[in-house]
Amino acid sequence: MQENEILRVEHLTKTFKLPLKQQKLEGGVKIKTAVDDLSFSSFKGEIFGLLGPNGAGKTTTLRILATLIKPDSGDAFIDGVSAVNNPYGVRGKIGFLTSELRLEDFFTPDYLFDFFSELHGVPHDLRNERKRSLFARFGIDKFAEVKLANLSTGMKQKVSIVISIVHDPDFIIFDEPTNGLDVLTAKTVTDYLSELRADGKSIILSTHIFSLAEKLCDRVGVIIDGKLAALDTLSALTAEKNLEDKFFDLYSQAKGERA
Amino acid sequence: MNTILAIIKKEFRRFFCDRRMIFTTLLMPGLLIYVVYTAMGAITQSVAEQSPTPVVYVQNMPESLASALESALDVREQTVSDNEAKERIAGGEIDALIIFPENFDDLTVGTDVPEVSIYYNSTETSSATAYSTVSAILQSYEQSIANVFNVNAQQGEIYDLADSRSASMYVLSTVVPMVLIMLMLSGCIAVVLESIAGEKERGTIATLLVTPIKRSHLAIGKILSLSVIAVLSGISSFLGLILSLPNLMSGTGVEFSLAAYGALDYLGLFLVVISTVLVFVSLLAIVSAYAKSTKEANGLIAPVMILAMVCTLCSMFITSPSVGFFFIPVLNSSLCIAALMAGTFVVVPFVITMCVNIVCAALLSVLLGVMFNSEKIMFNR
Repeated sequence: MQENEILRVEHLTKTFKLPLKQQKLEGGVKIKTAVDDLSFSSFKGEIFGLLGPNGAGKTTTLRILATLIKPDSGDAFIDGVSAVNNPYGVRGKIGFLTSELRLEDFFTPDYLFDFFSELHGVPHDLRNERKRSLFARFGIDKFAEVKLANLSTGMKQKVSIVISIVHDPDFIIFDEPTNGLDVLTAKTVTDYLSELRADGKSIILSTHIFSLAEKLCDRVGVIIDGKLAALDTLSALTAEKNLEDKFFDLYSQAKGERA
Repeated sequence: MNTILAIIKKEFRRFFCDRRMIFTTLLMPGLLIYVVYTAMGAITQSVAEQSPTPVVYVQNMPESLASALESALDVREQTVSDNEAKERIAGGEIDALIIFPENFDDLTVGTDVPEVSIYYNSTETSSATAYSTVSAILQSYEQSIANVFNVNAQQGEIYDLADSRSASMYVLSTVVPMVLIMLMLSGCIAVVLESIAGEKERGTIATLLVTPIKRSHLAIGKILSLSVIAVLSGISSFLGLILSLPNLMSGTGVEFSLAAYGALDYLGLFLVVISTVLVFVSLLAIVSAYAKSTKEANGLIAPVMILAMVCTLCSMFITSPSVGFFFIPVLNSSLCIAALMAGTFVVVPFVITMCVNIVCAALLSVLLGVMFNSEKIMFNR
């Protein structure tokens, strides 16, 4: 293990059983491999991008890292803690943002911040200080007592981001953080990710938006059909051509090998 | 501990800050039961009051029976032929035609057996009443002339030693277990499905699962807070029921006196209710956690409802239950409630019931914690 390594993914594999009808469509194939022997590492203070088309296995990988699901084989270590053997240990260290994790519409941002701080065991004075600064940073302070149901999509996403980091985690997992957001809100989010990195936080984010990866990521892993097709620094990957063209090369190469 | 409290507080806030939820779960059930039962009582009473004295024709009225018949029935003079009278009975204008043989009183002394004909219409309520009234008068008269022995003939003596207290207790012991258990169940269904299947469907429970709280804490927090809400809902229904019972039964002549029960009876009832609600909430929580949506959960609880109904029905027929019955959840509660309401409370079955219910709820909440940990159950769509 390298000295500043914060995440080490080792031979991660995850399969799903296909529904019966789909099995027939795919000629008797019963099992779909979502993540196929995936290994990579990310380092402290960097933004690592998991790049790939829809259905490549990005979200599944992140869900395994966040301990929501268990891999069939392999393991992921976050700051040395195993996601398979010590999920409780991992949950306290990470912040996880994904569209499937929702907040109850009935509550206000203010209440939700307090509630999740309590679940994470954040002391009250620290919580209030964090709440003040995060709400001010995202402009939530003006809507702190408005029920989530009455907030705009962008404001809801901002609240989700803030709630996912109430406990000030060192390792942050963001799944498609700018999906469905307008350019202004998306910029607030990407700017904030840069700020987090500047504060020494480590971030892994998944995206299918190449411009976002080019703008933010220090290193990128390209994932196609559950396999890692490329893993390098952004500058190395984009040395000859831009990321999008590089991706098309990798994609046709991967598909060609499999065909 | 803190996380359990946080979960409980959140569930309470979700419920008690929502005026609609409070109205539909706490106020409406009790209010509805009270209004419906009171209305039913008022209707039965007015029907009982309105029923008129049957109008009859009597031919050859014997002297011995004249006073009895005339006091019970509206005896009119027959101005039409027998056939026309029969048509009127069929048409509902007249209620009965009673034909005594001439010199009926003389015949009864002799060896001949005189015949009395009563023409009536069984589809008309007052005609049927006329028939049964006349038959009863005749039968008692027949018995009095061929008197061999008397049963309960002493005037002014009270033979039925049941006081109004135990009469109302008897009625309550048959009605309350079934109604109370079904009301508790419906209260539990209302809150549990929304809070567990609903949260799962909306993806809000997954957000809790990525925090470092223990799954068992989440399960315990949910079950405890939902039980409190379900108990409140049950109390609302129960109050509606108890307060409306005197109105409902006002036509039947049974006096209701809730003062028949002491503080200990109410305490026992309360404990049974709480332990039963814990069983229901944890059982429904399991079903809700298993279901993929609230809609599916609604379908899956049908067997639970049927089982609960079977248990309460069984308790109506088991008059002297053996101890073994108290090891079956829900049935034991139903039997305990019946015993409490009938004033035949026994300690041992009660203690068994409490223990069985609490152990059952504890095991189910452990299972719920395990289910919260299972990605197949929580994230399979």
